Amino acid sequence: MSNEGYSVIGKRQPLIDGVVKASGAAKYAADLALPGMLMAKTLGSPYPHAKILHVDAGAALALKGVKAVVTGADIPGKKYGFFRSRRDETGLTVKARYIGDPVAAVAAVDEEAALEALDLIKVDYEPLPAVYDPEEAMKEGAPLVHDEYERNIVAFRGFDFGDVEAGFKGSDHIREDRFFSQGISHGNSEPRACLAQYDPSGKLTIWTSTQSPHYVRRDLSLVLNIPESKIHVIKPFVGCGFGGKVELYAHEVAASLLSMKTGRPVKICLTREEEISATRLRVPMGVYVKTGVKKDGSIMAQYVRCLADGGAYASSSALPMYNSGLTCMIPYRIPNFKYDGYMVYTNKSVSGPMRGHGANQPRFAIESQLDMIAEDLNLDAADVRLKNATQAGDTSISGLVFNSCELSKAIKESTKHAGWHEKRGQKGTNRGIGLACGGFVCGARIGGHTASGSFIQVNDDGGVTVLTGSSDLGQGSRTVLAQVAAEELGLSASDITVLSGDTETTPIDPGTFSSRVTFYAGNATLIAARDVKAQLAQVAAEIMEANVEDIVFRDKKVFVKGSPDHFVPFAELVNRAKSLGRGRLIIGKGEWAPTNTQFPDRKTRYGNVSGAYSFACQVAEVEVDPDTGQVTVVKITIGDDCGQVINLLAAEGQAEGSAAMGIGHALLEDIIFGDNGQVMNPSYLEYKIPTSKDIHDIALLEVGRPDPVGPYGAKEIGEGLLISTVPAIMNAIYDAVGVRITELPVRPEKILEALEKKERRNTP
Amino acid sequence: MKRKLELNVNNEVWEVEVQPHRTLLEVLREDLSLTGAKEGCGLGACGACTVLVNGSPSLSCLTLATDVQNKEIRTIEGLTKDGQPDPIQLAFVDHGAIQCGFCTPGSIMSAKALLERNANPSREEILEAMSGNLCRCTGYKKIIEAVESLAEK
Repeated sequence: MSNEGYSVIGKRQPLIDGVVKASGAAKYAADLALPGMLMAKTLGSPYPHAKILHVDAGAALALKGVKAVVTGADIPGKKYGFFRSRRDETGLTVKARYIGDPVAAVAAVDEEAALEALDLIKVDYEPLPAVYDPEEAMKEGAPLVHDEYERNIVAFRGFDFGDVEAGFKGSDHIREDRFFSQGISHGNSEPRACLAQYDPSGKLTIWTSTQSPHYVRRDLSLVLNIPESKIHVIKPFVGCGFGGKVELYAHEVAASLLSMKTGRPVKICLTREEEISATRLRVPMGVYVKTGVKKDGSIMAQYVRCLADGGAYASSSALPMYNSGLTCMIPYRIPNFKYDGYMVYTNKSVSGPMRGHGANQPRFAIESQLDMIAEDLNLDAADVRLKNATQAGDTSISGLVFNSCELSKAIKESTKHAGWHEKRGQKGTNRGIGLACGGFVCGARIGGHTASGSFIQVNDDGGVTVLTGSSDLGQGSRTVLAQVAAEELGLSASDITVLSGDTETTPIDPGTFSSRVTFYAGNATLIAARDVKAQLAQVAAEIMEANVEDIVFRDKKVFVKGSPDHFVPFAELVNRAKSLGRGRLIIGKGEWAPTNTQFPDRKTRYGNVSGAYSFACQVAEVEVDPDTGQVTVVKITIGDDCGQVINLLAAEGQAEGSAAMGIGHALLEDIIFGDNGQVMNPSYLEYKIPTSKDIHDIALLEVGRPDPVGPYGAKEIGEGLLISTVPAIMNAIYDAVGVRITELPVRPEKILEALEKKERRNTP
Repeated sequence: MKRKLELNVNNEVWEVEVQPHRTLLEVLREDLSLTGAKEGCGLGACGACTVLVNGSPSLSCLTLATDVQNKEIRTIEGLTKDGQPDPIQLAFVDHGAIQCGFCTPGSIMSAKALLERNANPSREEILEAMSGNLCRCTGYKKIIEAVESLAEK
């Protein structure tokens, strides 16, 4: 990693919006209020599958303070959803498909009145047979969650590269294993909330906690039958998302409809229970892996089959099912690879995108199995990874092009730093060490416009405003984009204001997902900043009687190369530009999407979905208490290749936060469904996420080199790191106590049960 | 029946009329427009609503407003003096202890209470004091480092 020559890039830059957050002044959607505002609540179905025959809102409307009730029958527009081909939601529904599926909403003068009114809405349901298990749901004759989808299959992605059968034939050793990764709640600190205001001109304005204002606008337009240009979506401060806030949700539809009906602003704040049981969860997935290797551990062929529980609506459906297969081919050279991935509807809470988006589940399976293979062949687990690791310049058998890749270095440095050889295989200590690798896209080529844009305006005092469509959810993209503009213009990040995610004022943008923001919006902002710089350099060249290409911007000064002492302050240059000639404005613009991607072939899926790929190796050290089954993750060491780091403080923050989320996924978290598909642990009293006492040491080693396509050579770090944390912990547990857990999460009772079984096996 | 209350919040006395079942969090956010304290779970499990009552960190979502009359209530808004953030607020910013910022006001209030009763807390004491404030973004390491940076050496 090289920071040479940069004054802002690569530094530990605190958030430019840090103080406003620390002071409590940052406004999130639930903090907003407008005169005359009503509060609303939605009513969820008590049945997992039922037709709604009739809704009687008479008693509710008669209650003091209640202003309006809306139901699924009031939806004026069409179904919406991620994919045009799988649009299956209307927010409020006329057929309930899981317990909690919103069927009606009420607006009242306060939340208490709205809650009281919910109890008075009389809904006649006709219960229908339901299905909860994806394998059952795929059988002929199973109840259909959506009539249009045979055997409830909402998405299938499959591909077959090379000749897997020949690869298995040529292998010395073959393993087949099955794994299961559970449902997880995003655990956004901020429960979703929105405030909608419909005005008599026919314009709807909605302030909402979202990762993707433009998606919200598109889908609201569909479901409300209002033109997109009459909908203004504004993203206030957002209390993280992790993929959970990409889509349009029922409460946003309900608040909008209620505002249209009452003519008053309407706010809805979700409870944590609604967040956990009636929004989205990480896709629960069963994974079967068959891998064939040579005696030296070289992978000859791999077949991966995934069965995903989609829940009641499609959400991103085909995307995780594609990612589950695609991401298998990033970290290792696999000469023959076959994949089948099914997502199936069930009458349960809806699965959707979450950090890693389909990569996590098969990665957990494959990395666990690689350790089993290493043990079978008496090979070192790190050596097996090194033997197969992707190298810069490789093209995967599926067409992914890896311009930059430092995975081998990541493996070597992280194992060295963690003391791999000294600690691995120490019997009788109950301490273990394990590793796993992973790789991820830096944004994926999607249908429609994938690009990001950026406008930059230079203000009279030399301050700079960047307008970007990309949303900051707390990951720090405002600061990263400020650093990019600051580096180009010779300013500091605090001189830059970044406005993000407002459909009326910022460029159209897909939003924040797929780990794309630094890569896409970073490059767009870089182009816009260079545009500004070129305009100002021209003025400077005129004033200083020098060549444009010799003008340097640094430390808020503008000077001719080699003469830093004869400078014009940046702010003064801006003013000189204003007064010279016709009295110009300095405005820059940038628009960017990678040109080195290749949209995957519709049939074979051959293609290159991303402009670059990140790589990582993590080493986990655990301690297992054999009496209680309790696992403590003592340390996680991460060797990370995210290319050129833009903000080291934020990169560490992503790594540490992701490690904590991985520990939750591995050891603590599990959305538990009852016999009728009801979420049995929907509150933070029952659903546990890691606390400060669950997290110990986390070390990040940056091993990347600048990527030729990323801004300043940067690649992603937000999502890719999470996918290898879980298997690293699993492999460390095996190293500690010799038990292999294949179904997540690793609750203490599973460890005890496995230890007991092992004991029985060993006693003749 | 609404009751008239006097609440001492951030050294200012506020007169409010509230239903007796309303929580301190609701009154702060809705009646006093002090929206720094957040509702993250409504059950006292996440700590986003933490404020100080007589110097002790309290979960305002579980506290009735009527129970804190004649007590000194401090919220995140009360830490900034004359437009100057408190050192603990700046430490959170400088150490990267903030990402989305939603849990930050509650975390900072817990940290403030700790440092006021113990100027030199050990790492264990910091972990314990911060364990009631859930953060999904940071992985806690930088929060702990921010608090540690203010411990007297």
